[in-house]
Amino acid sequence: MTAPPPRSRGVIALIEENCTACMLCVRECPDWCITVESHTEPLPPVGPRGRPRSRNVLDRFDIDFGLCLYCGICVEVCPFDALFWSPEADYAGASLLHDREALRGWTASVPPPEPEGERGPAPGR
Amino acid sequence: MTPEDAAARLAEVVGSGAVLGGAATADVAREQWPAAVAAVRDDEALAADLFDGLLGVDLEADGVEVVVRLWSTSGRHAVVLRTRCPADDPRVPSLADVFAGAAWSERETAEMLGVAFDGHPGLTPLLLPTGFAGHPLRKAFVLARRQETAWPGAVEPGHSTPDPRRQPLGAPRRRR
Repeated sequence: MTAPPPRSRGVIALIEENCTACMLCVRECPDWCITVESHTEPLPPVGPRGRPRSRNVLDRFDIDFGLCLYCGICVEVCPFDALFWSPEADYAGASLLHDREALRGWTASVPPPEPEGERGPAPGR
Repeated sequence: MTPEDAAARLAEVVGSGAVLGGAATADVAREQWPAAVAAVRDDEALAADLFDGLLGVDLEADGVEVVVRLWSTSGRHAVVLRTRCPADDPRVPSLADVFAGAAWSERETAEMLGVAFDGHPGLTPLLLPTGFAGHPLRKAFVLARRQETAWPGAVEPGHSTPDPRRQPLGAPRRRR
């Protein structure tokens, strides 16, 4: 079988380090297939005049590919580049509900971004 | 023909014409609906001979809009015609005599939006199962699954339980 083209919408990969649990993807998803839970952890102040800050830590990031309609809105809307399309098509496995570990596993097959000039002409009307 | 030229010719044929989304578009009274579509098809300059699709838009209090998109295979331009029927009288004359292929699209629009197409040869449901009640593409149609599923976006950043005050984006207000 030939490999799918690199820009195919196979499965969605999660780069957890980039995710701030901002919930934008969850709220924009048209069929509610993403579930995110997080908690807040305090960060120590930086420098002598710094003030204590906090950051969100991901507890759960699930995508139910049984519901997903592969629209890619979550990938588009993510302001922190945490979600990417992977062309990997063989991901059904035991369950279509992929947790953060499963989603992280798809990052290896995410193609490198194409240089701007090689995308061809913009789609016309 | 460019969309601008097509819109100018459309204004001469049906009385109005503007470029909307790259296609020559005109609004037509319900009474002139099949005649206007036939005129656009038979006009030598427009020659919109290909039926591309027909759909409906629920405008709620403003009724239902029926949209047909035609394409000219010789001039390579699109023509979009729109008509409107009031909410309390959702009837539009059928285009089945103008384009035979419109019959299926009209069956779909009829079952999805509850528009009756007068003069249609057989307005039976096309996609919905037998005995399905209601018109799913009406904005007032309640999606049962959406009512019983909790919206995952109600969870705020840094939390793991939903905030009950948060409502899904674009969702109609829940009745109390």
